[in-house]
Amino acid sequence: MLKFLQFTLTRFLLSLFTLLTVSLIVFSLMELVPGNCAERYLAFKNTQGQSITVEDIAAEERRLGLDKPFPIRWGTWVGNVFLKGEFGDSCILRLNINELLSDKFWISLGICLAALILSYMIAVPMGIYSATTKSAVANNSIRFISYLGLALPNFLLALIIMLISTIYFGESLTGLFSKEYRDAAWSMAKFGDFLSRAWLPIFVLGWSATAFAMQTVRALMLDEIGKLYVTAASARGVFGRKLLWGYPARHAMGPVVNSLGFDLNRIFNELPVVALILTLTESGALLIEALARSNDQQLAGAIIFLLTASIVFINFVTDIMLALMDPRIRKGLVG
Amino acid sequence: MKLLFWKKKPVEDQQQLKEAYFTASQAQLIRSRFKNNRTAMIAGWALIIMILMGFFAPFLSPYSPDIAGRDKEYENGPPQFPKFWDENGFSPRPFLYTTERERSIKTNFRWVLTENREKRRYLELWVDGWEYSFIDIDWDLPGEMFDFELKALTFSTHLFGMDKGGIHLFGTDGTGKDIFSRTLHAIYTSLAVGTLGVLISFVLALIIGGVAGYFGGWIDSVLQMITDAIRTVPPIPLFMALAAFMPDTWSAETRFFFIASILGLIGWPTLARRIRTHLLTERSQEYVLAAELCGASSSHIIRKHLLPSFTSYIIVDLMITFPYVVRSETALSFIGLGLTDPVNSLGSLMQNVSKADVLLNYQWYFIPVLFFIAFVLAFVFVGDGLRDAADPYSQSKK
Repeated sequence: MLKFLQFTLTRFLLSLFTLLTVSLIVFSLMELVPGNCAERYLAFKNTQGQSITVEDIAAEERRLGLDKPFPIRWGTWVGNVFLKGEFGDSCILRLNINELLSDKFWISLGICLAALILSYMIAVPMGIYSATTKSAVANNSIRFISYLGLALPNFLLALIIMLISTIYFGESLTGLFSKEYRDAAWSMAKFGDFLSRAWLPIFVLGWSATAFAMQTVRALMLDEIGKLYVTAASARGVFGRKLLWGYPARHAMGPVVNSLGFDLNRIFNELPVVALILTLTESGALLIEALARSNDQQLAGAIIFLLTASIVFINFVTDIMLALMDPRIRKGLVG
Repeated sequence: MKLLFWKKKPVEDQQQLKEAYFTASQAQLIRSRFKNNRTAMIAGWALIIMILMGFFAPFLSPYSPDIAGRDKEYENGPPQFPKFWDENGFSPRPFLYTTERERSIKTNFRWVLTENREKRRYLELWVDGWEYSFIDIDWDLPGEMFDFELKALTFSTHLFGMDKGGIHLFGTDGTGKDIFSRTLHAIYTSLAVGTLGVLISFVLALIIGGVAGYFGGWIDSVLQMITDAIRTVPPIPLFMALAAFMPDTWSAETRFFFIASILGLIGWPTLARRIRTHLLTERSQEYVLAAELCGASSSHIIRKHLLPSFTSYIIVDLMITFPYVVRSETALSFIGLGLTDPVNSLGSLMQNVSKADVLLNYQWYFIPVLFFIAFVLAFVFVGDGLRDAADPYSQSKK
């Protein structure tokens, strides 16, 4: 048990280190964007008819702590994020980032997780089937459909589904909520309304994630099926589904669980594009807004950091899960 | 074995084949296994054709893909297919009808294209047209010292054209640019971005993964921690952050190099990790010890002994990474942060498609998208086939 705690603690510290590195990358990026907050604030005042001097900018920089050296600024930012969960204000929108993001971030995370689950619900059985089947036609068509998910630009898929629904069902699928629920508080009815629209982004994101997941499952299964313990099990008279799921599949699932975090990473990649097409007002679209349109580095940094943090968290959880699942590791840790 | 001779041969032939199998080099084995994978072979040919089309784009496309090659008389025009016969009779030379543009009170003051079926225009081969150079380097990177100009192999001959007026196999876009020409040039651009991006990430992965895998110990641990940290950041949002501070004033070439380097700089961790794992297992082998005892230096061992031991895996990995890099480029361009309209990349062409108007009225805008799908599919299938072929155990599994 002590060993298990030690293992968990090491993993935890490693995750923390990863997060710190990521925060350094994100923070440096935020700093690289031309112009800083002081200039932004004063540029806004300038549009209000006040004239601005260089001294004003310097004073404003001092007020915001922008005159301090880089490591100190990074330290303050990291401290606020880690200890208080506070991302500060966005200089362009002049709003608190936490308030701006709260709901939207959880919705995006929910959609991405749902897409991840959907992709594995398809990829695991299909990958195993594709690795074991003797029929070349079945194998090739499964692979073709799953790779099509990779090759078909997801914006196109979303666009076509959207247009078909608009033209033939007279119902627009854009956005995540219909008008009457947009500003309402969360309730069962709002959740139902959300689900009736969220399936489209989940489906589009899930399909493109399936391709990669299936490639992994198939390759791992092919690796395991040739091994001697499978032959030994079939010599003992285990056959069919029992043999497949009980022996090679169990082993192949280890690396799959391990890669869940990176699959989520891949789904986050697709999120902005799908969000743009479906005009979803969640963080993917907000990220595009923050970067492409207004150079809002605080908001963009916060979103990238949050996305990465959720991946790090999932990696941490899957590491622990794997240790508990795999008897070889479990024996060494728990005893 | 079964894969190598799928037809039953006479006994002495089989004996020869067996000998050929056991004396074959690794490369020969991979080639023969790949050739027996029909899907991968088809994909491979499709890929080669597309790469050639991209490379010879200026020769194959009748018009310049930029605004200089626009057809003012045929804006938003549908694709034109040359015909051999119609109700007026057969012609050995393929022909098109003359189109006329009209805007009057009859057409509700909108430009309307009409076909004059009486006036035929004929297809011509080896036409003299706009000038192009196969080697046309004109770098305009920030800083005077990086500027570089080279023009060589300049031609003006094109495979086909029309005697009068234009031919637009894939139609034209809103400004009258030929979509066929643009698609071919876009394939070239996307290939170039992908190659450059993959190369950059490959070199980085080789150095970082090589160092981590060869030296092991604390160097490995530190490098692995950093690699893992970079691997967790979702690349596209990161691309977006990086691409956002690309000044608008940059030239198309600078943007191109910038995008390719970003794609490369962020893509290395996965490859680096694999190289490291390979090296870790290989370096404890006896032949490495033998070389060390002979007094070979570390870099010599890495280059001469360790790298050749898994060149095939590296090639396969590069093939598999390629479509992902191209996809990232299109995603970036699609959002409007990558290569933008005057440059022809598959992503910038796809950007034009994202309007409902196009889907309903100008469906031929989708032709580049089909090429993109075929391009990615071909790469993925070839990558898969190569992976199966390079795996020495793949035969026992089937």
